[in-house]
Amino acid sequence: MSIQEIRVIIKPGLPDAHGGEVLAEVQNALSITTLRQVRTAKVYRFEGISPQEAGMLAENLLSEFVFQIYTVNQPVIKDADWLVEVAYKPGVMNPEAASLVKAARDLGLSGLKAADSSWEYAFYGPLSAAEVDLITSRLLVNDTVQHIVTRSPETLAISGEPTPTRTIRIREMDDAGLLALSKNRLFLNLEEMRLIQHYFTDTGRDPTDCEIEILAQTWSEHCVHKTFKARVIVDGVEKQPFLKRLQEATRQINHPLVLSAFVDNSGVMDFYDGWAVCGKVETHNSPSAIEPYGGAATGSGGVFRDIMGTGQGAKVIASTDMFCFAPPDLAWDDIPPGCLHPGYLLRRVVAGVRDYGNRMGIPTNNGSLHFHRDFRAKPTVIVGSYGILPRDKAAKGQPREGDLIIAIGGRTGRDGIHGATFSSAAMTEHTISVNAQAVQIGHPIEEKRMHDVILMARDEGLIPAITDCGAGGFASAVGEMGAETGAVIALDRAPLKYSGLAPWEILLSESQERMVVAVAPENREKFVGLCARYNVEATVLGSFTSDGRFRATFEGLEVMDLGMDFLHDGLPQRLMPARWEAVVQPEPPVTAVDDWADALCAVLGHLNVCSKEPIVRVYDHGVQGTNALPPFNGVDGDAPNDSAVLTPLLGKPYGMVIGHGLNPILNRIEPYRGTVWAAAEAVSNLVAAGANPDEIMLIDNFIWPVPDEVMMGALDRAVDACADFSVQLGMPFISGKDSLSSTYRTTDGQVIQIPPVVCISAFGRIADVRRTVSADLKRVGTRLLLLGQRDLAAMGGSVFYDLLGYTGNNVPQVDLSVLRRVFETLYSRIQAGRVLACHDISEGGLATALAEMCFGGGVGVEIDIPSGIPAEQFLFNETPGCFVLEVDSSLQDEDLFAEVPWLELGRTVSDPVLSAVSGGRKLFSVGLDDLKENWQKPMNGVFGE
Amino acid sequence: MKPRVCVLRTDGTNCDQETAYAFEKCGASVELVHVNQLRNRDVRLRDFQIMAIPGGFSYGDDVHSGKVLAVEMVSFFREELSEFVAQHKLLLGICNGFQVLVRTGLLPDADLGKIKVTLMGNDSGRFECRWVDMRVQKSPCILTEGMEDVVVSYQAAHGEGKFYAEPEVLDDLEARGLVVLRYVDRSGNETMSHPQNPNGSLRAIAGLCDPSGRIFGLMPHPERYVDDTQHPLWRRKKGAEPDGLLVFQNAVRYAGNS
Repeated sequence: MSIQEIRVIIKPGLPDAHGGEVLAEVQNALSITTLRQVRTAKVYRFEGISPQEAGMLAENLLSEFVFQIYTVNQPVIKDADWLVEVAYKPGVMNPEAASLVKAARDLGLSGLKAADSSWEYAFYGPLSAAEVDLITSRLLVNDTVQHIVTRSPETLAISGEPTPTRTIRIREMDDAGLLALSKNRLFLNLEEMRLIQHYFTDTGRDPTDCEIEILAQTWSEHCVHKTFKARVIVDGVEKQPFLKRLQEATRQINHPLVLSAFVDNSGVMDFYDGWAVCGKVETHNSPSAIEPYGGAATGSGGVFRDIMGTGQGAKVIASTDMFCFAPPDLAWDDIPPGCLHPGYLLRRVVAGVRDYGNRMGIPTNNGSLHFHRDFRAKPTVIVGSYGILPRDKAAKGQPREGDLIIAIGGRTGRDGIHGATFSSAAMTEHTISVNAQAVQIGHPIEEKRMHDVILMARDEGLIPAITDCGAGGFASAVGEMGAETGAVIALDRAPLKYSGLAPWEILLSESQERMVVAVAPENREKFVGLCARYNVEATVLGSFTSDGRFRATFEGLEVMDLGMDFLHDGLPQRLMPARWEAVVQPEPPVTAVDDWADALCAVLGHLNVCSKEPIVRVYDHGVQGTNALPPFNGVDGDAPNDSAVLTPLLGKPYGMVIGHGLNPILNRIEPYRGTVWAAAEAVSNLVAAGANPDEIMLIDNFIWPVPDEVMMGALDRAVDACADFSVQLGMPFISGKDSLSSTYRTTDGQVIQIPPVVCISAFGRIADVRRTVSADLKRVGTRLLLLGQRDLAAMGGSVFYDLLGYTGNNVPQVDLSVLRRVFETLYSRIQAGRVLACHDISEGGLATALAEMCFGGGVGVEIDIPSGIPAEQFLFNETPGCFVLEVDSSLQDEDLFAEVPWLELGRTVSDPVLSAVSGGRKLFSVGLDDLKENWQKPMNGVFGE
Repeated sequence: MKPRVCVLRTDGTNCDQETAYAFEKCGASVELVHVNQLRNRDVRLRDFQIMAIPGGFSYGDDVHSGKVLAVEMVSFFREELSEFVAQHKLLLGICNGFQVLVRTGLLPDADLGKIKVTLMGNDSGRFECRWVDMRVQKSPCILTEGMEDVVVSYQAAHGEGKFYAEPEVLDDLEARGLVVLRYVDRSGNETMSHPQNPNGSLRAIAGLCDPSGRIFGLMPHPERYVDDTQHPLWRRKKGAEPDGLLVFQNAVRYAGNS
C-alpha cells in the first residue's frame, strides 16, 4: 500500500520561527558561521488514502493558505544547499499521529490506516558534509528516539510476532550462570539471584521469563529502596534504617493535619472546607541524561500521575522543577564520552517540563536551577507535583476481592522496558546504546483526558482504589494494589501500540500515561462509559482475588504464578556499613573586596544566583487562575518571590503555599549542615510569604552516588539532619524518595561522583491569602530590617567563595530552636499586617536579596553595615532562615521582634541604587540597572531574551 | 433566569474550570460540555445562550493550534453553530478558543469553513506566559461594551498567538472596526515591540470580533483576572477592579436581556 506525502512550509518572507531557532543554535552552540538560513518543512505521511484525498487533507487540515504552501508527493523546498529530514524512529510513539488519524476520519477519510509526521530542515550556505553531520547529530537528532530519513518508508505499520514465554532454567545454574543472567538485564546481586533460585527449587519448577523479570523489577533499588530500608552500621554502631528514622520523626510529631504519610502515591495534608492537599516529588535523572526532552517530560507526567493516583483520585494543581546541571558553557572537551552537552540538556529538559505541564494545564510555578561542573556526567532532574482532593476520599484505597482490574489511558508498547532496573544501575558510557528503550516520548493530552475522567469517576464514587503505572508498569501497579489480596490478569487483553510484544514485555512495559483502577463489578459499565465520553480507553485486565498470589495468563496459558509475600517480602533486609570521612578543602586567603561594583555584579551574575525568569516565562504558571503569589512579580514583572501561593478553590481565600530548598555543594562539604541548610531554606521560602510554621509538611529527595561506605556515611548524616530538623521544627515528612545512582564510569575507569543532592520540598496552608506578602519593595522611605541569626564567619560553599575559586569547609550552622522562634515571629508579624515586603536570604547572600527586592519595587536602598563585621561576610554570607523585611517607618521598635535576633538594616530611597555605609564611610553605591543587567545576562544567553 | 453557558471541553482543554468560575461569578449557570456529548446529541447547543471555547491545547494543538477541534466542529456542528449564531447568541473564544474560532471561520465573519486570518507561531519562537496591557478599541463587540479606550491587563500564555492576515484583509478588518484589543506599551501606545506585544501580532491585534459583535476571540486570558488576588501586583494596587470581570459581566447581562 503506497504512502502519500504532504509537505508544508511557511510562505517565503514570513518568519519561520522554528528555522530561526535552529539557525541561532548552530551559530551559538556550534560556531558555524557559513550557515545563512534554515527553513523548516513539516512532512506528513498517510497510508491507505489516495493522492486526491491527500490533497483534500492538505487543504482542510494540514496547511492554511493564509501563511503556508504545501505539496503532495513532491519536494516543497527545492533550492536548499542541504536537506535533512528527521523523524521519530519506528516504534517510538509520535503523539501527533493519533490526532492526524482522528482529524482525517472527521473529514470523512475512513480508509486511513496510519499516519506519521516529521520535520525537514533546509540549510542555505556553503556547508561541508561534516558540518551538516555535526548540526544534525548535535542539535537535531537524538539517536535514542529519532533518525534521519534517507528514503520514504514503505509502510507506517509496525508489526511482529510475540516471542513466546520462555522458561529460564535457573535451578541448574551455578553462581557464574546466575550472574550472567543478571548482568545488563536484571541488575540483581548474587545473593538475590540465589534467593530466586531457592524459591523455584522449593516450588519444584523453573521460572518463566515473566516471573524472573517481575522479581528483578520489584526488587530493584528504584522500587524497593533496599538501601533506605537497610540496617546501617555507622562506625561500628548499628543505627535505625534511614526510612525508619524519617517515619519515626513523623510519628513522634503526630501532626494533626497529616492525613496520609508515606503510604500512598503522595503525602496528604488537611486543607479547608472538607478538602485535602497532597504533594509528591520525584527524580528522573537517568532518562533525562539520555533523552532530556522525553526524560523530563515523562518525569513530569509520572509525578502528575502520582497525584492523580492519590486516595481515590486528586486534581493536579501545581508542578515544580529543580535541576542541577554542569555550566551551560562547558567546553565540549570537558564532556565525558557518552554524555550530552549541559547547554543542550538544560534547554531540552526545560522544553520537556514546559510541554508536559503546559499541555496538561498544570501551572509550573516553583523551581530552581543549580550549576556545578560535576553534574557534567549526569544531571539531577527533580520534578514535583501537588494536588487537591476531598478529605473523605484522601485515604489510600484498598481493592476488595472481586473488584475488577481496569487499565486506563495509553496503550502498551515496548517503551521503557527495564526502566526501573536501569535507573538503579550506575551509568556507563554504554548506557546510551544499551538502554535506549528505557526512554520515551510523553503524551500529555492522553494524561489530561485521563485526569479529567478520574475526577468525574471519583466524584461518582466509582474508584475504590487507584494507582499509576510508573516504573515496572502493570507488574508494579497491580502487584502493589493486590499485595494484600492477590490478583489475576490476562496480559493478552492489554491494548497494544503494535503487535509483537512478548507477555513479559506487556507485564513490565513502562509506557506512559497508564493507570490501574479497581472498580466494583456492578460499576463496570458506568465507569467504562464515562471513560468513553472522555476518549479514554478502559480495559478490564482481570480481577483482585483472595489467594495472595499474583497470576497472569496469556492466551489462556499461565505465564506467572508467584506468591505476593515472596514478591514483596522475599528480599532480606540488607546490612550496610557506613563511615563518614570529612575531606578538608583548601580555604581561600582572606581577601577584602576593593571594587564593590564588580563584586556585586559578579555575585548577581553567578549561575546559581542569576535570574531564571526566561525559564519561568515558557511555563504556563498562571493556568487554573490560582496564583496569589506568582514566581515573578514587581513593577517590571521580573523580580522573584520565595514561594508560590495558590488558591486552589477559586473564590475562596484559602491558600496553599509551596517551596523548596536545595544546595548541592554543601553536602559535599558537610552533609548534616548541608541538609539542614536545604530544609531551613525550604521552610524559610514559605514563611517569607506568610506561611504558618505550625502548618507545614515536608518532602525529602535524596539523589546520591551509588552508596559505598563513605557515601553511606554521608547519607547517614543527611538523614539524621532531616529527622532532627523535622522533630525540632514540628514539621513532618509525609513523602519522599531516594535515587542512589549518581555515579558515572568512563571507559578509562574514571569514576565521576555527582554531588550528593538533598532536595527538601515544603508545602503548607494559609487561611487567607490576603495575609501574605511578596518580595518587591513597596515604597520609598520605609525601614529595612534583618531578621534571624546569621553564622557570619561560615562562608563555606558560598557563591562568594566559588567566585574566588574555593569551596571552603565551614558551612553555616543553624540553631534550630532560634530558627523556630524566628519563623513564629515572622508569621505573627505578617499576620498582623506589619510587613510590607519580605525576602529570605539564600545563595548570593544579603546583597542578592536586597537587589532582588529593589528590582521588584523599582526603588533603591541604603544600608548600614554594623561596625566590626567584615562587609564581605555581612553581604554574602548564606546562612538560611534569615530574612529582609520592609516595614513602615512609623512602626515602633517594641512592635517588632523582642524575642528573636534582628537588626536595623537601612531604608528605601528613591534613587535607583543599592548603596552601603560601613563605619560611617560610604562603601559603595551601585546602579540597579547595572546589577539587573548582570543578573539577567546568563539565562538570557542560554534561552534568548 | 440565569443565562446558560456551555463551556466546551475536549482532549487537552485546560482553562475550562477558571472560565466556568468567571461566568458563575457573574451570575451565569455553567455546564462543562465535552465535545463528544454534543456529537452524541446528549447535550444540545440550542439549550445555551453562550458558548465559550476555553484555552488549552485541544488535541495537543497538533498540526496547528486549535486546528483539529476546528475541523471537528466544522465537520459535525455546522448546522448547530449556524443556528446558534443566527439566534443572536454569544460565542467567546479565549486563547486556544480564539484559534479555534479563526480556524472554523467563525471569526471574523461567521463564515464556517472560510479561513481569512490566522494565528501563527510567536515571533520569539516559543511559548510565553506574561501579563500584557491592551487598549480596548471602538468596536461592535458586546463583551467589551463600556470599556472603550480603557487599558486592560490580562495574562498571555501561548506559543501560537501572532495575529496574521494579508494587508488588505487587515485594512478591511480595521475599516469595519472589528479589532477589539491591541497590545500597548507602558505609555499606552499600540506596539510591535516584544514583550509588550508578546507574539509579534500584526497591527498589535490581540482580539477580534465579528460584525455583529457577538462573536469575540482574544489571545490573553480575561478569566485569569476576575478576582483581585489573581493579578501579580494586587498587593501594590489594593481594591482595583479586576480587568477581566467586565467581559463576563457584559456577556451575562446581554444573554440575560435577550
